[in-house]
Amino acid sequence: MTAAEALSSVPAPADALASPRAAPAAPLLSLRGLGKRFGSLQALADVDLDIAAGEIHCLLGENGAGKSTLCNMVFGVYQPEVGEMLLAGRAHRPASPAQALASGIAMVHQHFSLVADMTVVENLMLGQSRGVLRQQECASRVRSLAEHYGLVLDPWARIQDLSVGERQRVEIVKCLMREPRLLVLDEPTAVLLPAEIDGLLEVCQRVAARGCSVVLVTHKLAEIRKVAHRVTVLRGGRVVAASSDPAAEIERLVRAMIGRSLEGLDATAGALIGEVARSDDGAAAATPVRRQLGDETLQCDGLTVRDAHGVTRLDRFTLVVNRGEIVGVAGVEGNGQSELAAVLSGMRPASEGRFFVGGVDMTAATPKQLTAAGVAVVPEDRHAVGCISGMSLAENLVLDRLDRFRRFGLLDRKALRSEALEVMARFDVRAAGPGVAFGGLSGGNQQKAVLGRELGIRGLAFLLAAQPTRGLDVGAVEAVYGHIRAACARGVGVLLVSSELDELLSVAHRIVVLYRGRVMGECRAEPQARDRIGALMAGHTAQAA
Amino acid sequence: MSTGAAAIASAAPLPAGRRGPPALLISALAVLFAIGCGMALVLAMGVRIGDAVAAFAEGAWGSPYAIAASINRALALGLVGLGFVLAQRANLTNVGGEGQIALGGIAATAVSLYGGAASLPAPWSFVLPMLAAAVAGGAWGGIAGVLKVKAGTNEVISTLLLSFIAVWMVYGAVQSEALLRQPMTTTASLPESSEIPDATKLPPLSADADTPLHVGLPIALALAAVVAVVLGKTVFGVRLRAIGLNPVAARRAGMRIGPAIVWVLFLAGALGGLAGAFMLQGDQGSLKARFSSGYGFDGLVVGLLARGSVPGVVASAVLFGFLRSGGINMELAAKVPSALVLVIQGLIILTLAGAAFWIDRRKEPAR
Repeated sequence: MTAAEALSSVPAPADALASPRAAPAAPLLSLRGLGKRFGSLQALADVDLDIAAGEIHCLLGENGAGKSTLCNMVFGVYQPEVGEMLLAGRAHRPASPAQALASGIAMVHQHFSLVADMTVVENLMLGQSRGVLRQQECASRVRSLAEHYGLVLDPWARIQDLSVGERQRVEIVKCLMREPRLLVLDEPTAVLLPAEIDGLLEVCQRVAARGCSVVLVTHKLAEIRKVAHRVTVLRGGRVVAASSDPAAEIERLVRAMIGRSLEGLDATAGALIGEVARSDDGAAAATPVRRQLGDETLQCDGLTVRDAHGVTRLDRFTLVVNRGEIVGVAGVEGNGQSELAAVLSGMRPASEGRFFVGGVDMTAATPKQLTAAGVAVVPEDRHAVGCISGMSLAENLVLDRLDRFRRFGLLDRKALRSEALEVMARFDVRAAGPGVAFGGLSGGNQQKAVLGRELGIRGLAFLLAAQPTRGLDVGAVEAVYGHIRAACARGVGVLLVSSELDELLSVAHRIVVLYRGRVMGECRAEPQARDRIGALMAGHTAQAA
Repeated sequence: MSTGAAAIASAAPLPAGRRGPPALLISALAVLFAIGCGMALVLAMGVRIGDAVAAFAEGAWGSPYAIAASINRALALGLVGLGFVLAQRANLTNVGGEGQIALGGIAATAVSLYGGAASLPAPWSFVLPMLAAAVAGGAWGGIAGVLKVKAGTNEVISTLLLSFIAVWMVYGAVQSEALLRQPMTTTASLPESSEIPDATKLPPLSADADTPLHVGLPIALALAAVVAVVLGKTVFGVRLRAIGLNPVAARRAGMRIGPAIVWVLFLAGALGGLAGAFMLQGDQGSLKARFSSGYGFDGLVVGLLARGSVPGVVASAVLFGFLRSGGINMELAAKVPSALVLVIQGLIILTLAGAAFWIDRRKEPAR
């Protein structure tokens, strides 16, 4: 097995751990004065960091703080421009991930690299085996790893049949099979269910207990409280704080991370980073506008979507969203939310059923007709549906209303620019100017731009927001919900699809739960409902819960 | 050639409003490298470089006539190149220039000889065949667009195959008197159409017969300006770019993808058809079996070399016009096969593809 060969070339991790004499033990990995620049962006500057053997070291920071860049440098994806890296006292300058792997560093990226059509074992053997494939041997190894680390996996399952959490386990097993000295996990919990997150954190603890250092990139405080031995906070590419007793210093670390105090932080934004929202805050914001007859902005009547194979993805979805009301759609991803959003945004026809906006049947409407009817959409997949990365910010801000910028048959770039500047100012989209490439903006600014465009639709009546805060930092989350709440207060009906239950509980008035395409139940968004919603999300009916 | 073309079109970064030195510099370097290789080949053939270069220069720009002939070649190439760049903006690769030229040639011939164009007052006498050619070429491109929208057929395949059909249609049309073949008065009368009436030929710019420049030159330049404005300064241009870069997001933003694809391939084809009209009415005077002889594919290379920019099309069309003229004379005067020009063209494509690949790899992916 090549994993064993890889091991033989690497000093056993236990050695590093078993040398407790030098009081400040020589760190496994130390970074000194690391710097990296992408074009005009200083991604990292003067980063000093020590990672001890066998510790769980959390890298905390908002999106764009340089966490991923740092990890990718340690893993040989990027090379530092200045500074040096020492691995167990020796210079560490990997020119490629392969070299980093050979020196005992393994990394799980945010995006998995698995072949969907192949089994777990086949994926694990890819690139690691030569000659005859010994699948049984590999499978038994997977089982023994599973036992050691609590990573439950069926070695013979096909990747395409696995959930996101299971796929992540495959990636982790892939790393552990090489018996690394350092395991880097880049935002591993962003894609997981609450229960899965706990499982992953336990795996981290077991890995560390066996002497392998773990670098955990995160922006969730709960995770830090639970597992971190030490924390380093990055902001704007620099180390702004560090702590070897993170659980006791959470406040200070958060302040360093977001660059200001927690006071006045939006409850929802707080909920997202794991600060338990003061429950009354969320509820106070969530007093529904008094309902009147004819207030329905969206009426869904038995919407059903069957895919190309005839499988029902959305099953008789019926719902009313009133003016000034935020209705949350909860559920584990892949339970019909995407199909619902696609139908309501005119991107996919419903197989059955109808929906109305402001009383008008919009079931067969094109995206253009929906926009004209005042339907705003913040799509789940921003990059694929919400924007065009290769075009400028200004162009993206007016993508659906280009016709308004026609003057003597030509494009009125001046008017377009001033409109863009105005939206940028109103939605606090930070960019060097309206002409910059959209793809170069941070995720938060991209989302604010999409939201700015959609909320600027004339005659806005209804907003569909799918996973609007995914991948955003705290400041951007706050801004996004500020705008959504403001729209709601002006009488816009909002349908909010999210897989973050805490987020829904603090923003929405009502929550419906989707399971296998069907509405399992509906409840008021109040903290007490949390368990019931959790049960519904798992497919248990109300009675069972 | 066509598959290589598709590879570059997809490998080359699409012009996202950015133009400028790097892209054009790469093209220039590719040309220089290919010409250098060509020189090496000339040497290897045992011909003195001096002789070859002299013959090339003589044919390309040695006389006012040579210059004008080179420019006339550049016109047809440039129109096809413009069509290529137009479609490329919507991320479509139109490799059907050859067929669009052929259809344009057939339509222009038919209208000039039998459509009564000659009896119209100027400028309609020569404008009407041009319009017919544009519509015919456009229809040929539009078919590829409809196939793509309705059946998802890749436009590279459909435009290429439609080209073969069109080339054989020219063959067929000049074989039969019922179609476009000239009356067979003697056994020596060739399978080609009659000479089109003078009124339908493109009027020369100067009375001097030594410089055969015709009104096609200002028309082509005007069209280049129009294409540049459409791409850079109209809502339609922005939409094409949006559709090219992300059709899903474009659809969500209310753009109608299907009609835009059909339209832009129609326009690209119309420019190709017009190139056919220029060749017939400005140069050849009658439709021959081997009417286009590769101008469509050369025009495709012109489009590729331009890397999405209209000024780039003008520059590379001129370059290729002169290359072709020089190459022909090199064969006549210095006994260097004019196929050398084809070799150089091929090398330009390969170098460009390689450069695009190299640049893409050098750009570090931002995660």
